[in-house]
Amino acid sequence: MVMQENDETGHTISLDYTFIPTNAFGLYVKQEENGKDILMVTPEFNTLLKRWNLPDGQGNIFNMSGAGLAHYRDNNQPCLWTAFLADYESRRWFFSYEPRFVWDGNIEKSVWQRARIGIAPYLANYNDLNTWIMFQVDHHPAKHDHFVATPLIRFFYKTYLFEVGYSSNQHIMVNWQIQF
Amino acid sequence: MKKYLLTMIIIFGLTAAVSADTIKATVNGMVCGFCATGIEKTFRAQPEVKTVDVDLENKLVTIHTKQGQTLDDAKIKKLLGNAGYSVVALVRGK
Repeated sequence: MVMQENDETGHTISLDYTFIPTNAFGLYVKQEENGKDILMVTPEFNTLLKRWNLPDGQGNIFNMSGAGLAHYRDNNQPCLWTAFLADYESRRWFFSYEPRFVWDGNIEKSVWQRARIGIAPYLANYNDLNTWIMFQVDHHPAKHDHFVATPLIRFFYKTYLFEVGYSSNQHIMVNWQIQF
Repeated sequence: MKKYLLTMIIIFGLTAAVSADTIKATVNGMVCGFCATGIEKTFRAQPEVKTVDVDLENKLVTIHTKQGQTLDDAKIKKLLGNAGYSVVALVRGK
């Protein structure tokens, strides 16, 4: 899977290969913005910690972690990051919560959290274009805008996903994913 | 009469041996079309499978096997489990 996120926190690209059903390994690159413009490059390891398959929904808890290099001006530092993602989804509703911890050596240490709620205006089947109206809230204790709200719209069709939104601190969000 | 019965048994036997299976699996957790693409990918990679259909509304995965081939229940449950879903029921037909 390849995924790119462009939002008020910066630009991220990650390329993952699922080598067993519960684990994926890949490359994570993030150029931060709206604060220090830190570039992070790390291998990434994603794990499904728990899944609940329900008759009308699915819940998951994932961990994503990476360790690599952070670059800021002329300073290169080792970096570590880890995030937990909890989500629940039905065909109509979507909820997620993600706390993320980042340590960029002596450049920066940060914690941020993200929550999302979504509703599907119509119930699409497998071969249909799926549409979701979503609302995202980010909480960045270390940045100017402690809380940032982003209404967005998500579309997906088969293996292609696209999201576009506009944040309360006036950044355009454009995210996409392709599964192979 | 005996000859007629024997012929009929052989014909039915041969028909059963070369016919394809249609397997309907009811699964829990299948609510997202983007995530369910893994089911299609997984089953299309199996040499026994001709087509696979995913129906989110009825929580149903329908697998059509190739002529004379089949997939056993344990393998179907394992493949759907690996794709991220729990099998609730399996119904077979020709």
